[in-house]
Amino acid sequence: MTGTPDLIRQLTAEAEAVRRLRPPLVRAGLWVIIGAVILTAVATAIGLRPDLGLKLRDPVFVIEIASAALTGITAAIAAFHVSIPDRSARWALLPLPTLLVWLSTVGYGCLTNWVALGPGGTVPGLSIPCLETIALGSTPLAVILYFMLRHARFVRPLATASVAAVAVAGLTVSALRLFHELDATVMVLIWNVGAGAVMTLVGAMFGRRGFLLPR
Amino acid sequence: MARAQDGDRQAYSTLLEEIVPYLRRLARRWLRDADEVEDAVQDILLVIHAIRHTYDPGRPFGPWLLTIARRRLSDRVRRHISRSAREEPLKPEHETLSTVPTNLAEERADGRRLHDMIEVLPPAQRLAIKLLKLREMSLKEAARESGMSVAALKTAGHRALKTLRAKFVPHED
Repeated sequence: MTGTPDLIRQLTAEAEAVRRLRPPLVRAGLWVIIGAVILTAVATAIGLRPDLGLKLRDPVFVIEIASAALTGITAAIAAFHVSIPDRSARWALLPLPTLLVWLSTVGYGCLTNWVALGPGGTVPGLSIPCLETIALGSTPLAVILYFMLRHARFVRPLATASVAAVAVAGLTVSALRLFHELDATVMVLIWNVGAGAVMTLVGAMFGRRGFLLPR
Repeated sequence: MARAQDGDRQAYSTLLEEIVPYLRRLARRWLRDADEVEDAVQDILLVIHAIRHTYDPGRPFGPWLLTIARRRLSDRVRRHISRSAREEPLKPEHETLSTVPTNLAEERADGRRLHDMIEVLPPAQRLAIKLLKLREMSLKEAARESGMSVAALKTAGHRALKTLRAKFVPHED
């Protein structure tokens, strides 16, 4: 074991000037803009849903999209704050209100449609392209966010990874709803909550392992 | 810290030296073993070094430092608890013979037999085992010392272990 004075000498010797991180809000904004560009590109490639004009007049749909997007944005702000040691860990609660609104609209839509159509209303086959869209849209977003937050692996890795996962899920799903006609069935609930849950789970695993790997 | 971020090594060195006694006091509250305390202090210093770009000079340094230190210490204690839950200390009854020298003598005899066997290995295998296992060199270092390629060393080392195992195991029981 090297002695502590030796370690200090070693660290001092390799202490190059570093570029300070920009404020968390600025970095969150940057990520949201990059995310929006990527998702717009995916949307342009796939094409918006044909009934979008009609759907935009449906308040539940609008609230759902708006709350998902807001959850994504607030979770991003939260993640960039939580990842900095001297910021409060309570920032992680910031996306909670919009997250609850988002999840409740999904549940509400699902319930009304379930009643109208009966159990036959779910068509699992439809959702395969959705999975591709989720993967296509969310993977680059998650990778970029991971690199922007990698310093968090030493401090609060789990909290950062969880909030970051919600950020990716919120932003991706809000965009997904604009170009997929899959709504108000059980599948939406599974997708929306499922995508969030899977990402949180992966995030938590990253938090434990990936974020912690290099020491 | 702000000056250290700009590359002022003297300021950085002074800062690290000044926070060490504080970190040591803090670590002593969490850990009892002196070595463990020193290990924890060094770990905190390494983390400070790795993420020094996250410090915002417009804000006080104390909370930034304290969060890192507390976080690393609580992680260490948690790891320690989960490790001690899995492991059981060696007790006298775990040894085949209760007096220590008896056990060691047997080990020494085994060691001598192993050395004898290494001596009769083919030259390349003998060299590989000596450099890689007995002198604990890395493949690269051993390649430099012996003039053999890394691949050749790897193969020779592997073959040597196989030969030794084959010779050793039948005598074992």
